[in-house]
Amino acid sequence: MDYTHKDCKHFLAVDVFKGICKRDQDNILADDSSCDRFDLLERCKYCKNYKATQEQLGLCMDTVDAYPDMIAKTCNDFQWRSHQA
Amino acid sequence: MNTPTNGKEHDSQYNHFGKLASEQTTVREATDAPSSRTLRAKERYFVTKSSASIEYPYWYTRTWEALEGEIPIIRRAEAMKSAFSHITPVVYPGELIAMSKANYLRGSFPMPWLSEAYFMAAEGEMYQEALQAGKVSADTVTTMGQGGGNVTKSMGKVLSIAGKFGLRSEEMPMLVKIAKKWHNKSVDDVGHKYEQMVPGYDTKEEIMRSVICMFDSGYTLPQGREVMNYYYPLQYGIDGIIDMCKEGIEETAGYPDMDRLYFYKAIMLMLEGIQTWIRNYAEEYKEIATYCTEEQEKEEYLDLAERLLWLSSKPPRSFFDAVQLTWIFHIAVLNEDAISGLSPGRLGQVLYPYWKSDMDKGIISRELSLEWLENMRMKFTQIDCFASMGVVGGVLSGNTFNNLCVGGLDKEGNSAANELEALILKAGMTCDTPQPTLSLLFDEKSPEDFLLKGVECTKVGTGYPAWINNQVAMEFLMTNYVEEGMTIEEARAWAIGGCLETSACSWMPLEYEDMTHYIPGGSAPATSVGVHFISLPKILETVLSRGIDKRTGQRVYEDHHFILDSYESVWKAFKKYFRETVKVLTLTNNIQHDAWRKITPSLVNSMLKPDCLTKGKDIGQQGSRYNRTFNVEICGGVNLANALASLKKNVFEDKNFSLKELREALDANFGYKTAQETGSYSLIDQQKSENFLTYLKIHKLCMDAPKYGNDDPMVDGIFKEWQEWFADMCSDYTSLYDKALYPCQISVSTHAPMGAVTLATPDGRLAGTTFVDGSVSAYPGTDNNGPYALFNSATCYNHALSQNSQLNMKIHPSVVQGREGAKKFLEMIKAYLRQGAFHAQFNVVDSRMLKDAQENPDEYRGLMVRVAGFTQYWVELGKQIQDEVIARTEYQEIG
Repeated sequence: MDYTHKDCKHFLAVDVFKGICKRDQDNILADDSSCDRFDLLERCKYCKNYKATQEQLGLCMDTVDAYPDMIAKTCNDFQWRSHQA
Repeated sequence: MNTPTNGKEHDSQYNHFGKLASEQTTVREATDAPSSRTLRAKERYFVTKSSASIEYPYWYTRTWEALEGEIPIIRRAEAMKSAFSHITPVVYPGELIAMSKANYLRGSFPMPWLSEAYFMAAEGEMYQEALQAGKVSADTVTTMGQGGGNVTKSMGKVLSIAGKFGLRSEEMPMLVKIAKKWHNKSVDDVGHKYEQMVPGYDTKEEIMRSVICMFDSGYTLPQGREVMNYYYPLQYGIDGIIDMCKEGIEETAGYPDMDRLYFYKAIMLMLEGIQTWIRNYAEEYKEIATYCTEEQEKEEYLDLAERLLWLSSKPPRSFFDAVQLTWIFHIAVLNEDAISGLSPGRLGQVLYPYWKSDMDKGIISRELSLEWLENMRMKFTQIDCFASMGVVGGVLSGNTFNNLCVGGLDKEGNSAANELEALILKAGMTCDTPQPTLSLLFDEKSPEDFLLKGVECTKVGTGYPAWINNQVAMEFLMTNYVEEGMTIEEARAWAIGGCLETSACSWMPLEYEDMTHYIPGGSAPATSVGVHFISLPKILETVLSRGIDKRTGQRVYEDHHFILDSYESVWKAFKKYFRETVKVLTLTNNIQHDAWRKITPSLVNSMLKPDCLTKGKDIGQQGSRYNRTFNVEICGGVNLANALASLKKNVFEDKNFSLKELREALDANFGYKTAQETGSYSLIDQQKSENFLTYLKIHKLCMDAPKYGNDDPMVDGIFKEWQEWFADMCSDYTSLYDKALYPCQISVSTHAPMGAVTLATPDGRLAGTTFVDGSVSAYPGTDNNGPYALFNSATCYNHALSQNSQLNMKIHPSVVQGREGAKKFLEMIKAYLRQGAFHAQFNVVDSRMLKDAQENPDEYRGLMVRVAGFTQYWVELGKQIQDEVIARTEYQEIG
């Protein structure tokens, strides 16, 4: 999978287009390809509890509507899928 | 654009107002630079786009759904707790004050529980339903600013919403899904179901479609235009308030008036969410500290983490703690509703005990304090309010109106101005940003050196502080709040809520370091709710057309059945239509606000506002100390007076032409092309059409008719009669709290879209052009007798009859240069206020600079102008407002 900066846990979003790399404070574009120091950010789509149902939509714990790109850093129920942990 | 002037000499040309400025553009006076930290924050802000996310609405809705059947206020509290707990913390380098509204620098989010249709696709069923009901008519006639942080078009993976907010495309399917969950459940939809039961509802829809009224208030901006009260968190800390709630629960559980039990429980739940939000930030700061290579930076982040952890439970220990805590609760309120005009009030007086103590101890310096105040300005400037295009563009111009007041009187009636407020004024110059806008509460007891500091800030072109008459505001409050117990002592605590709404406040006993300090804070809920912006010229248009909106061809009102053969008959017909409008809008808005208080009761703001915690009631249940806050807002009052003067003189007194001939001329736009055709919205720069000569004579007579702003007794008499009748008639209508309404007169930005839908008017104004700004400003180019004649016109009635009046003046920078210029400027302001005026604000700018900025926006990212109660970046204003500001009369002599 090709990851972009916005998928990286070191990415600080400034706005919907761009952000700052927390490591070196460089300005970077959200949709540019990630660098080799990439670490995956917690998002619903990487969680064991998430199941996709259609494009950009899915279910959390089989019951609640959810969407794959939701940042899950503050979610107490987030668990990495085994291949992404 | 604060670059030094080149001190050019004036040439010897003169116009009505005195010497003409040199042909070269005169720039504003220079100010000191901000700290390098502030400068970096400002540079970052300038390249940041308004961004929306759906984190908060997602978690709110998810929890709301899960708790179906729960007590409504508890369900709301749990939803808010969940939403606050899940906001992703964002820590921007160099910030001294932590935390943001959402997970972007200029982050905001939709609140579909209020209204969900306006951000849906225009072709979709939900938007079309809203259009049919006249709810989004203002959207269609509003122009948004095309530059700055506005995301005006969708591009790549970013979608543009309301012409301003960017939303990641991957979040849109969930937003649509969430919006559909709220369909028929939101405040907007539930209110709509019941407002249709109001007799005359059909007229209401036509009023909205014709944009005679700008927007409903109950689901658009249900809170705001009010003053924050930071007392409880400062005095007790969050744990202390939770303890108060626990006591409240023990005292009320099982006893009559059980709503108090649910209220206390709801406040507890909401506060738990805020505690998690703060602690999530603290953890983020600790994590960010691990990235740091420099020890000082790391220490700063760890200090911030420690401060946040402390404040998540305890009251502040220092000035910096107090600043941080007030900011947290400010944005917490902003996250509970769509809000504009949430004013920090007299924050410099609230924070003064902490600042003075730290200064006396030598813990902080003025320089460091200034940097913090600059940082605070950047944080306030980053606030965005997510709303429809008609609201965020047509009313707010992208502004959020966080008005900070300085000056005024203390509890005992002495000047309340202090050294920290002087620093706040200085920060307003060194860090010239739109927020918080500043207002100086002028009183005869205000020290001269403090006033001079205020005028030094105004004259460099920031547009703030606005100058407000303290005594006029107190008189207004004593008149309107005496039945709720307002005293002279309490009236002294007042401040401006929003851009210019006089708001009731109270003195609260802050215990800090073994001393009691009486700090001022808001003690009334939202003002400027009720009847929002009635277009007076548009109503006059329907009088002449016997109830028809000539733009759409739709009938708005039944025929008034007056034979329009005298000025008095026109005036009577106008009053009839105006009354009908106020009546139906009051009733429908009362229903919307009732839906609001039932579905989405205020929790954060209710917890803050005295005496909700004491009474155990939220602000929707009149928990606040003062509750008479609903008003009737109007727009275009001066155009109305000018138009009536022209009708009276030309048609009925001098009989220069008949009413029929006038109507034909108005329908033909006096032989000019419309503003929509020319793309220019001010009276200047309009283009003639081929039948121009047919209407030349009538147009000239209309233009030559007496105009407000020249100390002319005829037109001023009409204006005075309108003002006094308006003030009196408002009290015939009552809010859902059974309190009489009162008048409010600010245009904000509504004079643009409301002008855009209005035909030519009998004062000579052309179709589609913008109305007069403010409430007592003169129509551009028609005030020909200098500023003091304008002041006489403006004060022809008692300003304390109304919640506000608003005068905008444009002053050429050359007039106020240097120390002498400042003194002359201050004397002019004092002279106006001493005549009984409520408010004046100034654009100190050369119009040629504005024209250049319109042509070359990229070169003017930091240029700010004063619009009507607020300062905004030029590039973020719509063209309608830009044209209007350029066209304003530019005074080149004030002596």
